[in-house]
Amino acid sequence: MWLMALFTFREAWRKKVAFIAGALTLAFLILYGTGLHFITRDMVNTANPAATAASYFAMMQTVTLFVLGIYLASFLAAGLAVLAAVGSVAGEIENGTLYTLAVRPLSRRDLLLGKFLGLAAMLVTYAALFFLALAGLVYWQTGLVIPGLVPALGLFILEPLVLLAVTMLGTTRLSTLGNGVLAFALYALAVVGGMIEQIGALVESTAAIYTGVVTSLILPADAVYRRLVATVVDRLPVGNGQDIPRFINPQSMLGPFGSQSTPSDWMLLYTLVYIVVLLAAAIYSFKRRDI
Amino acid sequence: MALIEARNLTKIYGRQVACREICLSVEEGQIFGLLGPNGAGKSTLVKMLVGLVYPTAGEAKVAGYTPQDIRGRRRVGFLPENFRLHGWMKGEELLTFHARLAGLEGRAASRRAHEVLELVGLSGEGRKLVANYSKGMQQRLGLAAALVGDPRVVFLDEPTSALDPLGRRQVREILLTLKEAGKTVFLNSHLLSEVEQVCDQVAIINRGTVVAAGHLAELQSGPATVAIRLAGLTGELVAELRRLYPELQLEGDRLTLTLGDREEIADLVARLVAGGCRIYEVRPGHNSLEDVFVHLVREGEQACG
Repeated sequence: MWLMALFTFREAWRKKVAFIAGALTLAFLILYGTGLHFITRDMVNTANPAATAASYFAMMQTVTLFVLGIYLASFLAAGLAVLAAVGSVAGEIENGTLYTLAVRPLSRRDLLLGKFLGLAAMLVTYAALFFLALAGLVYWQTGLVIPGLVPALGLFILEPLVLLAVTMLGTTRLSTLGNGVLAFALYALAVVGGMIEQIGALVESTAAIYTGVVTSLILPADAVYRRLVATVVDRLPVGNGQDIPRFINPQSMLGPFGSQSTPSDWMLLYTLVYIVVLLAAAIYSFKRRDI
Repeated sequence: MALIEARNLTKIYGRQVACREICLSVEEGQIFGLLGPNGAGKSTLVKMLVGLVYPTAGEAKVAGYTPQDIRGRRRVGFLPENFRLHGWMKGEELLTFHARLAGLEGRAASRRAHEVLELVGLSGEGRKLVANYSKGMQQRLGLAAALVGDPRVVFLDEPTSALDPLGRRQVREILLTLKEAGKTVFLNSHLLSEVEQVCDQVAIINRGTVVAAGHLAELQSGPATVAIRLAGLTGELVAELRRLYPELQLEGDRLTLTLGDREEIADLVARLVAGGCRIYEVRPGHNSLEDVFVHLVREGEQACG
């Protein structure tokens, strides 16, 4: 299994998947960094955000920009997860590369898990570097250390793994194209559902909130993003009640990109179980199919 | 000892029967040829034997294990039809990887990769990317990958389809080398001459069913033609022969007959000599595998209407 994982990781590297994703990401970071620079250059330094009302609001603006960056970055990470795994079984059967591997003394479980682990290693590396680059840019331009950096990093890494598990299950039964369409459709559903849930929380509509919860149960990718936002924003210092009002809710500044309706620990646990169950289903499905 | 055994192996896709109750047995150290027209079910049968496709019914054992058993797979090599190798790897890197998957460690894997590269005539090409190999070179590399684990049983599905005549000859030589080394080879090919030159046993499959199986000599026996150049043939003798051999043809001094078996040629010549004929030439027709194949496949087509 480890040999297969290493093979898959090297394949992603040598086929320049990581290089192309890295180049696009670099372009994104340059654009984001440029925007960040011009938006925040007149702001006061946020190293001590609770000192004055000006520094407090500067911090809020910076966090908003960081969250928006994370929102867009999670699109790229999810896209890479889907594109990397979309044909890892069906595509390899279609082009004839799986036959020579599948007859080796390697169980189908180990073959599939090896592919998953290799792709997961690539995605974890990519997502971690991306997240740290965003946080680094924010620190460089504003002096703000993102609150809850480590747990937020963990959550950012988790999101593409959810997409990877879904795509790995799909590729054991669906054609490359069909699987890609399904994975992106589910992701779009989760993102739209998440938006509806947050707007529902802002306007206090229970039905809208439940709609988002249901889409999160179908694909908990957006729920992981919302939890990430809550991890960062809920650690921000509250107003001092004098020149910085206490009633300011940082989440409300983020609108549909925020986490007014924050996924619980149970949803986080559900996400981990979801990945394991989908992977088990992928193994079961792959074991039973003809190649 | 039979290294490959299939008992009532059946595969049905929806309403399409790909293989129906196939029974085969291949002894250790033999080269076994599987023949059949396109779409006859040859590749499905091979895929069932190597564990890629699950049979709908029946069972198979290869090297003493079911095709899905990891222990058996350590003893099996497979060159698929319509395969592609991972183009992003170099030739020797790919073979080392396959050797490691087959259970060899570090240096032993690398050494074995070089050995098989040399065996298939690619020793100078190992450092090239597979994507830059020609079709023929990829076919040779696929063969090398099938042999890299030093298997006891090798399944080769159309191993020479992309090769030129020189490459085909080389593959035949490799097959005979494998046989000398005591390996069992299951050769799936539509090139009848190739099968005829290297195989000990043959099975012909048509519409998913084995229509003939056995040693080559057995399959090639049966109705045989003979052309005889002679003088002194009387009308009475011709009439007598025509009763025995209705397909008799007489053109000038050339008599052509279809006999039940090649063994009957000696009796026929004795009868002609006893009848006063002078025999100048006896030319038995060669009952090639192609004749047998075409005969059996056509017979099958007619039976199916």
